[in-house]
Amino acid sequence: MAEKIKVDDIDRSMYDFRYEDNVEDHLTTGISPEMIEEISKEKNDPDWMRELRLKCLDIYNKTRMVNWGPSIKELSVDEIVTYIRQKNRMKENWDEVPENIKETFERLGIPQAERESLAGVGAQYDSELVYHNVRKEVAESGVVYTDLESAMHDERYKDMIKSHFMKLVPPTDHKFAALHGAVWSGGSFVYVPKGVKLDIPLQSYFRLNAKGAGQFEHTLIILEEDSYLHFIEGCSAPKYYKAGLHAGCVELYVAKGAKLRYSTIENWSKNMYNLNTKRALVEENGSVEWVSGSFGSHVSYLYPMSILNGRGASAEFTGITFAGEGQELDTGTKIIHNAPDTSSYVNTKSISKSGGASTFRSAIVVKENAVGSRSSVNCESLMLDSISRSDTVPVMDIRTKHADVGHEARIGRISSDAVFYLMSRGLSEEEAKAMIVRGFADNVSKELPLEYAVEMNNLIGLEMNGSAG
Amino acid sequence: MENIKLNTLPVPTFRWLGVNFADKAVQHIDAPSAEIDFSDGETVRIDVRDSTHINADVPDNSTGTLILYCDADSEIRLSGSINVGAYSDVKIVQIFNGAASTVGGLRIKAADGASVRLVQLFIGGGQNISETDVTLSGYKSKLVTDIGYLLSDNDKLDINLIARHAGKKTQSEINVKGVMNDESEKTFKGTIDFLCGSSGAKGAEKEDVMLLGDKVQNKTVPLILCAEEDVEGEHGASVGRIDDELMFYMLSRGLDEQTAIDLLARSKISSVISKIDDEQTVKRLDSELL
Repeated sequence: MAEKIKVDDIDRSMYDFRYEDNVEDHLTTGISPEMIEEISKEKNDPDWMRELRLKCLDIYNKTRMVNWGPSIKELSVDEIVTYIRQKNRMKENWDEVPENIKETFERLGIPQAERESLAGVGAQYDSELVYHNVRKEVAESGVVYTDLESAMHDERYKDMIKSHFMKLVPPTDHKFAALHGAVWSGGSFVYVPKGVKLDIPLQSYFRLNAKGAGQFEHTLIILEEDSYLHFIEGCSAPKYYKAGLHAGCVELYVAKGAKLRYSTIENWSKNMYNLNTKRALVEENGSVEWVSGSFGSHVSYLYPMSILNGRGASAEFTGITFAGEGQELDTGTKIIHNAPDTSSYVNTKSISKSGGASTFRSAIVVKENAVGSRSSVNCESLMLDSISRSDTVPVMDIRTKHADVGHEARIGRISSDAVFYLMSRGLSEEEAKAMIVRGFADNVSKELPLEYAVEMNNLIGLEMNGSAG
Repeated sequence: MENIKLNTLPVPTFRWLGVNFADKAVQHIDAPSAEIDFSDGETVRIDVRDSTHINADVPDNSTGTLILYCDADSEIRLSGSINVGAYSDVKIVQIFNGAASTVGGLRIKAADGASVRLVQLFIGGGQNISETDVTLSGYKSKLVTDIGYLLSDNDKLDINLIARHAGKKTQSEINVKGVMNDESEKTFKGTIDFLCGSSGAKGAEKEDVMLLGDKVQNKTVPLILCAEEDVEGEHGASVGRIDDELMFYMLSRGLDEQTAIDLLARSKISSVISKIDDEQTVKRLDSELL
């Protein structure tokens, strides 16, 4: 009889430290017009933004809750602290960042990464960006990387932001998009001018420290023609027993011939509801590449969407999801082929263990006008015990005869034969299992920047205790 | 009276895709029942022209074939409940070849070592809605399904096939082949559901769709649900135009393009018809398809 393979959860200890937050910084929990007005006043919103926030609140109140996917019944938005004011404004000099916040990001390795391998860094702590910096030579090339709230008041960008903000993800999209529109705070604005290709990535790191709080940052990235950007997003929070909520929004505009790679390593703690919305609009011959690692949170609904809107546009999605005890991670992607000769490629892996549930959910839509389009989807799932769940729920909606769409999915467990073979070559059982799981996750790790790939591989290796049961 | 939603997807997904239910709901009716006797091993052929409910308890260690041929002129319901006894081998053929719409619902349960072979063929006919729910509850019970469809004009077809693996070492195989012309619309929902306790189970699903019409709408929804570690499941789908190399080969053999397309479309359906394995029914189909 085949032996069972046991693999431990991802070790989260490096993320589970926290500092006491100052309760005086909290606005009230829940959401009301008065509170929206207060956030708007606090942020000195232009009139259009204040009106948009109130409109979003109205839509939020009228929109019904999702009735598919993992249960979010235990999430009470009325008990979530939707906005936390920081006493100190955003800094461009790391030394000026408040000590406890600085230490948080130091422990997460953000300043070191900035020094070694990044073109710019943004760090958000609870509701506000606390640090933003971009290398001098990058700024001189015309690249803008700043916080969205400052940019909204800058004469050079304010019209651009007004014409793009929540246009790709309208508040009517779903209930949490409307909530985001009402209470959003923090996040980044990136603008890459025509023809500028950034060789080294920009990174934003989101840290939710406060108990029972929500984080609603908005990321707006605009790439002009023939430009290139790699943007990295990292997220974490310490563990509390009270539910937290992340309902961020990412809007990516990729112009003709431009190329954007958007990498995310999500490691929220297991009390978090991660209901994030990400969307890219890709014009002629442009391309977007999503690299997504989902390891944390209690419940996730995460499906980055690519709208291929110009001839020859392309999208690629590479993802891995690791669901352990108490986690229901519902992840995947949505791709809309809305122009001729567009192409998409999806490659995902998921691992379920210790009662965790992972669901791969996708939608590939090829519209009537997308003649000559191609799409290929490949998803694989690994079940590590029989108390876990793994589901795949893909949908293909094809409306032209001039398209080629392929889909493959596979589900199974670690092959005992493979473990036996590796052991016969001199590896211990633990090493053999770790090697197999690392190999399974190879599609994502090889797409990550080196330091992230090493961290991910180390996590997998460390957490394989190899006991057979 | 309350409308009944049809063809519910076992795990709902994004509402905007419109695949969680069929886009038509019906009211309950009490259709006359027909008891099917599989005990003598003969092939049972039924022309279904009115709404009917089929009941069958297949005895242990028996074999049999049931052929349901629907070619009604007005809308009908065809439902059924079939329990397949231990170590029995049953083939169920459903052919929908009428001018009118049909609503089909079939529940099948297979005991230890039982083998169920299911062939479903949909040829036009307005709006057809078909749900088949097979529970492989017995040890080493097995399901092999071949589904074919040939749609044209404004035909609408919604298929919901669920293979539930409850017993250990159960097997399911789902093969779907289809051709869509004109402005036809089709949704195929195929689910392999590995329930907890179905260790050693294997399930495979494949849909191959040839799109020929300029305004076709094809939705393919192949689900794998898994609550058991020791299983193997896979699904694949291929949707689109005729392979360029294949077409080039056909043209190089002297065929014109339309003849080549017709031949390829016919070959897809013929491969499903060949699974019927009943000369009388195949002849009837051939005469009606020509």
